[in-house]
Amino acid sequence: MTIRNVLRDHGQRYRPRMACLKKAEKVVLEMQDPTTGVKLQPQRLVITTIPHAITGEDIVQICLFYSEARSFGSMLVALGYIYPIQDHKRLVVKPDASLYRFQTPYFWPTQQWPVEDTDYAIYLAKRNIRKKGILELHEQEQYNHLHKWMNHKWDFIVMQAKEQYRAAKERKKPDRVVFDCQERAYWVVHRPPVRTHTCMFLSLQKTFMIFIQQSIMRPRVKSSVSIGALVKYCATYKGHDPFLSKCLPSNPWLTDDVTYWALNMPNVEIPTKMRVERWTFSFGELLSDPRGRDDFRLFLKKEFSGENLAFWEGCEDLKWGTAATMKEKAEQIYKTFLARGAPRWINIDGKTMEITVKGLKHPHRYVLDAAQTHIYMLMKKDSYGRYLKSPVFKETTKKAVCPEEHKFSDSQLEQNARNRRPSLSPIIIRQQEQEQKAKMAASAPVDITQVMSKLSQQGKEAPPRRTSVKND
Amino acid sequence: MPLVNNKVGNDCTVGTDKTLADGKDLVESVIKVVACYRHLAACVGGCTDSLQLRDELRQMREKALNLAEAIRLHLTSHLRDKSLPEDQRKEMELLWVAFSSSLELLHVDMCKVFSMGDNFSLANTASLVQTGLQGGGSEVAARALSLADLNQEPPTLPAGLESQERSTMEQEISQIDHMIDDMEKKVNVLRWMVEPRGPQYADPLSSTESASLALLSIDEEQPGHKPLCQRNLIFVLLLLFAVVLVAATLSVCLVLFS
Repeated sequence: MTIRNVLRDHGQRYRPRMACLKKAEKVVLEMQDPTTGVKLQPQRLVITTIPHAITGEDIVQICLFYSEARSFGSMLVALGYIYPIQDHKRLVVKPDASLYRFQTPYFWPTQQWPVEDTDYAIYLAKRNIRKKGILELHEQEQYNHLHKWMNHKWDFIVMQAKEQYRAAKERKKPDRVVFDCQERAYWVVHRPPVRTHTCMFLSLQKTFMIFIQQSIMRPRVKSSVSIGALVKYCATYKGHDPFLSKCLPSNPWLTDDVTYWALNMPNVEIPTKMRVERWTFSFGELLSDPRGRDDFRLFLKKEFSGENLAFWEGCEDLKWGTAATMKEKAEQIYKTFLARGAPRWINIDGKTMEITVKGLKHPHRYVLDAAQTHIYMLMKKDSYGRYLKSPVFKETTKKAVCPEEHKFSDSQLEQNARNRRPSLSPIIIRQQEQEQKAKMAASAPVDITQVMSKLSQQGKEAPPRRTSVKND
Repeated sequence: MPLVNNKVGNDCTVGTDKTLADGKDLVESVIKVVACYRHLAACVGGCTDSLQLRDELRQMREKALNLAEAIRLHLTSHLRDKSLPEDQRKEMELLWVAFSSSLELLHVDMCKVFSMGDNFSLANTASLVQTGLQGGGSEVAARALSLADLNQEPPTLPAGLESQERSTMEQEISQIDHMIDDMEKKVNVLRWMVEPRGPQYADPLSSTESASLALLSIDEEQPGHKPLCQRNLIFVLLLLFAVVLVAATLSVCLVLFS
C-alpha cells in the first residue's frame, strides 16, 4: 500500500522523529481519561459555547508527572497535539488561564504521510473564499508560489476549496468554528510564518542552512588537479616506501637485523643515499629530517644566514613547548631576532613585523606564526635552491652510503631472532639529544655583527658583545 | 464555473458536448464526495467518533469508488480516441487532472482513516480525544450521499465484523492505487501543458454567511485588533455625546429666548 507522492517536497520541511511522536501521542491519549486526565471546561464565545477547552495551568499540572513540565507542554503544542485558542500563532504553553484544545487525530503530526502542498493550497483558497484579503503576507507569498508550481491543478484546487467550504457550512456553527481552529492550528505548525516560535524546527533549519552556505564557500580544486598531485606523490615516494619496495639493507621486522635502523638514526654522521634523495623532494622533508636540518644549518652557517633557521626553530619550540615557559621564550625570541638592532635580526616585511609586535603584547602559542611562515617561505624559495646546488650538499651526497642488501640464510635468520635486543631507552635518547643541543648552543651563533666585531677587536680577549648596532 | 462549456452549435459536436457535460458532472460529484469525506475523516478518533460515522465513511467510500470507476472509463476512452478535436481534448485533460488529484486526496484520506481506525478502536471510548466537536458529521454525509443511501439502517456491527470492514477497506485502498497506476499507464497527459481556466483567487461566496462566521470567531482574532476596535468605539460614543450636548444646549437656548 503506497501513497503516491506526485509532488516533491520543495522546501526542506522538518519532519519530527517517530520516537518522539509516539511518546507524545501516548501522553495525549492518557490526558483524555475522564478521571485521571486533564480538566475540561467550555469556551464561551459571543453566540455559543464550545466544550473541551483546557487551560494552560492544567496542562502544566498534568505534565508535572514528566520532568520539565512547561517545556514538555510546549513541545506538545509545538508538535501540534494541543493548540492554543487565543494567540494561535505562538505555539507555547502559558501557565495561566489561557485556553487550549486537543487537536483531532486526523491532524496529528506523522512521519508516514508528508504534509502536502496541495492541501495547503486548498486551505489558503478556502480562507480566501471565506473572507477576501484575509491572507497574511507570508501566506500570500506561499499562495502565489503554489499557484506557479501547481498551475495545472489550480482549477481542481479552487473547486475542492469551494466544496470543502460548502460542506463545512452544513455543520452546526460551534463545530464549524472548531474545525476551522483545528485546521488553522495544523497549518501554523506545518507551514509556520517566518520567525514563529516553533522551537524544534527553526534551529535545525538554521544549522542546515549554515552548513550549506559553508559548503558553497569552501575552496574547490578540480579533481584532475588533485588526482594529478596524488599520482605525482605516489610516483615520487614509491621507491622509498618500505612496503612497496625493498628496504636496504633489510627490513628489521622481517630479518631481525637492526642495521637499517642504525644507519637511519636521527643524528647519524653519514646518511644513506635514500635519505639524501628524500631531502631533494621538498623543503619540508629536509627540515623534518634532523640530519637534513643539520646539513642545511651547516650550509646556512657558511652563507651567514643562519638566523632564519634559528628563528624558525625557535618558533617551533614556542609552538610545541610547555605553556609555562611560553612567555619567556617569546620574549627571548623577540630580543634575539625581532627587536631593532637585535643580534640576529631577521628580515621580514613591515606588515608582518607590525602584526607580530602587536601580538607579542599578549603572547600565545601561535603569536609568531605569521613571521614563521614568512621565513619558511623565504628559506624555501631562496636558500633551499642554493643548498641543493651547494658544495655542502654535494659533499654529503658523495659521502652517502648505499648499503648492500642482506641475504640471510635460514639459520642466520634464526640466529638473528635469538640475538634480538631491545633498543636504547627513549630516556637515554632524549638525554643525548639535549646534550647535542647544548653543544650547538655553546658553539656561538654566528652573525655578521659578531664576526665584524671580532675582526675589529682582533687580539682583544673581550667576549662577544651584543651591542646594539643601529641599523637604519 | 471554471470549466467552459463548448456551446458551438454544430451537429457533430452536440454528442461530444453531452459527453463533456457528463464528464464534468461526474468529476464535480467526485470532488464533492472527496471534500465531504475529508470533513468526516477529521472526526475519526475524536469524541464524536461512532459506528454511525464509520458507516457514513464507508458509504462515501463506496460512492466515490463507483464514481471513480465511471469517470475512469469515460475519460480513458475519450482521451485515447485520436480523432478528438483539440479544444475537446484540452477540456478532457483538465477533467483528467482534476480527477487524478481527487483520487490522490481520497487515497491519502482513506489511508489515514485506516490507520486511525487501528489506533482508535470504538470499543474503548475513554481514549477518544476530546476535540470540542459536538455534532456528528451526518449533515455533511447527507450532502455527499443521495437520499437512498442514507435511508439504509445504520448497522450494529459486532466486534468480529470490524476486522471484515478493515479488510474491505484495504481492498478499496489497493483498488484506488491500481486505478491511479492504470490511468498513468493508459493515458499520457502532460501536466505542464494543462492550463487552468479559472482565476487564481476563488470568489468569496455569499457575504452574509461569511460575516456571521467572522463574528463568531472574533474572540479568536489576535488581541492586537481589540484596542483598535475599542478606540473606534470610544470615538464614536464621544461624537454622539457631543452632538447630544449641542442639541440640548440649542433647545435650552431656544426655550430661554423664545
